[in-house]
Amino acid sequence: MRGITQRFGAVTALDNVDLEVEKGAIHAIVGENGAGKTTLMRILYGAQRPTEGALEIDEQSVEFATSKQAIAAGIGMVSQHYGIIPELSCLQNLILGAEGGLIIDSAKATERAQALATKMGFEFDWPALAATLSPGATQKLEILKLLWRNARIMILDEPTAMLSPADGDALFASMRQLASEGATVLLVTHRLPEVMDHCSRVTVLRGGKWVAEKAVSETNTKELAQLIVGTSEPFPVLAATPVASQKEGLKIENLVVRGERGEDKLKSVSLTAKRGEILGIAGVDGSGQRELFHAIAGTLSPKSGEISMDGAAWTKASTADRIEGGLRVIPEDRHAEGVVEAWSLEENSALGLQRLPALAKGPWVDLEARKTWAEQVAAKFKTRHGGLGLPMASLSGGNQQRFVAARALEMSPQLILAFQPARGLDLGGSAHVYQAIRGRVTAEAVAVIVSFDLDELLEHCDRIVVMNRGRLSEPSPGQGKDRDAIGRLIVGVT
Amino acid sequence: MHNDLFSNPIFNFLAVTIVLALPLLLGAMGGLTSERSGVINIGLEGMMLIAACACSLAGQKHGPIAGLAAGIFAAIILALLHWLMTQVYRIDHVISGMAINAFGAGGSNFLFNRFYDTTQSASSPMLPIWIYKWIAFLVPIGMWIYLKKTRGGLHLMAVGNDPDKARLVGIQPLKVRFVALLATGIFTGLGGVALVTDTGIFTDDMTAGKGYIALAALILGGWRPIPAMLACIGFAFFSALRLQLEGNQHLPQIPSEAWSSIPYLVTIIALAGLLGKTKAPAGLGKP
Amino acid sequence: MNWRLVALIVGSLALLAGAVMMAGASPAVALSTLFKGSLGSPQAISGTLRESTPLLIAGLAVFLSLRAGLFNIGVEGQLIVGACACSVIALRFPGPIGIILGTLGAMIAGALWALPAALIKAYRNGHEVITTIMLNNIAGYFTGYLVAGPIRAPGQQNTTTADITPSTHLPNVFNNGPLTVNIGIFVGIVLAILAALWLKRTVAGYELQTVGANSTAAKLAGIRTERVIVKAMLASGAIAGLGGAIQVLAYEGRFYLGFSPGYGFDGLGIALLAGGSAYGVIPAGFLFGVLAKGGVSLGIQQIPKGITVVVLGMAILIAAAIRYRKVKTVA
Repeated sequence: MRGITQRFGAVTALDNVDLEVEKGAIHAIVGENGAGKTTLMRILYGAQRPTEGALEIDEQSVEFATSKQAIAAGIGMVSQHYGIIPELSCLQNLILGAEGGLIIDSAKATERAQALATKMGFEFDWPALAATLSPGATQKLEILKLLWRNARIMILDEPTAMLSPADGDALFASMRQLASEGATVLLVTHRLPEVMDHCSRVTVLRGGKWVAEKAVSETNTKELAQLIVGTSEPFPVLAATPVASQKEGLKIENLVVRGERGEDKLKSVSLTAKRGEILGIAGVDGSGQRELFHAIAGTLSPKSGEISMDGAAWTKASTADRIEGGLRVIPEDRHAEGVVEAWSLEENSALGLQRLPALAKGPWVDLEARKTWAEQVAAKFKTRHGGLGLPMASLSGGNQQRFVAARALEMSPQLILAFQPARGLDLGGSAHVYQAIRGRVTAEAVAVIVSFDLDELLEHCDRIVVMNRGRLSEPSPGQGKDRDAIGRLIVGVT
Repeated sequence: MHNDLFSNPIFNFLAVTIVLALPLLLGAMGGLTSERSGVINIGLEGMMLIAACACSLAGQKHGPIAGLAAGIFAAIILALLHWLMTQVYRIDHVISGMAINAFGAGGSNFLFNRFYDTTQSASSPMLPIWIYKWIAFLVPIGMWIYLKKTRGGLHLMAVGNDPDKARLVGIQPLKVRFVALLATGIFTGLGGVALVTDTGIFTDDMTAGKGYIALAALILGGWRPIPAMLACIGFAFFSALRLQLEGNQHLPQIPSEAWSSIPYLVTIIALAGLLGKTKAPAGLGKP
Repeated sequence: MNWRLVALIVGSLALLAGAVMMAGASPAVALSTLFKGSLGSPQAISGTLRESTPLLIAGLAVFLSLRAGLFNIGVEGQLIVGACACSVIALRFPGPIGIILGTLGAMIAGALWALPAALIKAYRNGHEVITTIMLNNIAGYFTGYLVAGPIRAPGQQNTTTADITPSTHLPNVFNNGPLTVNIGIFVGIVLAILAALWLKRTVAGYELQTVGANSTAAKLAGIRTERVIVKAMLASGAIAGLGGAIQVLAYEGRFYLGFSPGYGFDGLGIALLAGGSAYGVIPAGFLFGVLAKGGVSLGIQQIPKGITVVVLGMAILIAAAIRYRKVKTVA
């Protein structure tokens, strides 16, 4: 790819970027959020047309107007947000878009699918619905999709984001096998250990510009980190000492939550989170942490068990009562759960806090106070915006996240409940948010943070517990921050 | 000469049920293709109404086959308008559906009053109704096969469950939905024509809510062709029951309005009792 | 304004003009007839205000439900049962007492008629469009039965109740010869203003709109969405019932078969045209009043009344198309 430039209106996402990859190599593309990695790959995949620039495959010039053409040229992409449709069967997902004819011959398709799967060492129940697959298995199905279409150039965009360490290793084993057979693999990631362990070369992007390209053997994570961030100093991580507190904090006892199909999503979970500490909840997506999150928030009713805060029973309390008692939530998906895109920043600033005395005078909304509050929220993490009266949709994703995080942290939080609070933020923004959380916690709040990113939790939490298949486990004393030990718990190995 | 079978009241009852089920069946299938592709469609009523009107108008002047063609054509126009509004203009699907109903009701009233030649007989010539009976029962079976065994069916379901993911594999939801709504127009058009075929006479608002009942049947059937078909027959059964029992001496004096209300009551009860368990296509309403 | 929107508006107008010409009239004449018939004289204006009253209130009822994310298409049925209840009560209790009781009874009747749909939506997620339309049909049959039998005016051939006494009528505010304006229209206007204030300035109003905008976020924000849904539907039904009561007490003086020429459906159009604020319901209601009154004059021109329904559909689409324009990322 030469001279690739991509402009979206006033924003230049990519500026004259070059990329050259050898056949049979595993090549990493690294950079912060917003550096342009995903955009570059989308161009290669035909999902985006570059404003300027040229593409060459095997020394022949190509141009893709649609993904279909890219697929035909042998390019395949496994994106961050899986392309597997849960409501369809595994086989249907596999052949979708490449059925090979008007009529679907299930028997023949299953035969070929089975052959491909066996070659890679995978196993699938083809008629089963894809909803039954674990994240690791879903990833494997995605890879098979590429093979089904005879992809020779494979793009993996943050593939291990939601995988356990073991599943991640398995993924790379498969990649090495494919590369040895002549496939070319492009790995987009921000996890430097992966780059060092599995790739032969690495390209660094920063702010839409090409910064460097190196052989992995000739560099190290420190140098790469510097290239990515552009400064010589890594961000200072505040050393954390838990504050001793008189008040108890959050206590959960034997919580059981039943799912839609009658199975128990949470199996007798118990945990405590004291005031003055940041508790991290690790685990692979789908282990029950979401249910735990919503049970603490009050939006999911447990079948049995108790939740209490500072000794006061919360099990039957409504979400509104919990908010009054100091619950502040940073939700997983701000678009679906945290904001109303069509509303103004000012109107959004009150969401979740609308009944609190600071923003309401009895049944009436205190419009003046709300305006001041919105200013305060926007200023906290320096959210860039065009005016408080403009709709939330006018903000970029990162700025929206800043706003939502600030909203949760600025009005005397007692219990901070956050699901990947730094989602969509770059290293700097992420550091600010966690600093603010630490600040509140030091002032006697308690924070519970759910994340799929173990490194994020290791860096910022005082204690980490692990969810696996609905059960909670804690690392043995002395291994509280041991990455390998926790990694084993995440996978379920004792 | 009367065969004993044909004067059998039970046979009669079944025959009436089937005739009543025809517009429901075809309407529900029209709703199926639309909703399985992710387009919420409450405009079935308007499509059937305009089809019935166009059929009777064209039939009067040019004969039954022209009537059939005109009916289908009219419904297709409204169906594709729904496609345009929801996919290109990105209007809320429910709002667009209500507008379609308005066009169907107002348009049929306007056209009929303006163009129907009342000096001639009140009813237009129609094709024999057994044609529609066959079609109405073959279509659900055909849809079942289509969804299970063809590429088009798989693409339809993919788009209806997650249009973004479908795009990733090169499917174009816009096109898929166009074809889906085209089919909706054809089926609802047939439904409207079948409705007016019974008597040959078009009257204002002759659908009387059948489009909504068809949608309810579709929902009850979990958006699957064969269960939806059974639900339609179920609803038709109650309508037929009402016709049968109305005016029956052995029953207490129940006003005719109560009988008329039965299909609507049944619909409400059905929606109250069974919904919450069936799963709608996951991508309903997504662009 | 983007070209797509312009295309839609131009297309609609062209279609309308074409339809009018098809009916044998000229669009220019049709338009002037419309305006003359609705605004061209004191009688006309009185008539337009009269038409606007139930439309305004019905529009407000639907608007409120829309803000909560609900499509209360059942305003038609709720209005009818409200009107029916009001007339029965007003006949029984003549004078100002009858006005008050009748209005209350109408609101209760309207709310009750919305209740099944409200519960089914809140707790079973049954689409309220279907349930309310079904309830409309049943309302028609039910009141039709009542007015043909139990509550029919004695000695009457027509399906109607007796007339309420003059003392039970809502008074006129202006009575200047041909120009008469009843207090009913002001009730509607005041109601719309109150609704706008309630939505903007109360916590409950904020929470209702949150449920309509993003019910998942609403739950996390501590709002009990099921309760809000039920309350919103009940309030919507009550307002619709009130509309029926005003229609009886201010203008009709009785209830009869075929009482509503489709106010409920028009209400949806008005609610959509109103945009984001309840204040908008007022001009939208007047616009529809103009169409309704002027439409009568059009009918004399041999243009079938179906065309006003088509206009309604177009208005709904255009209003919705304007609402859903994309927002640009600023930062």
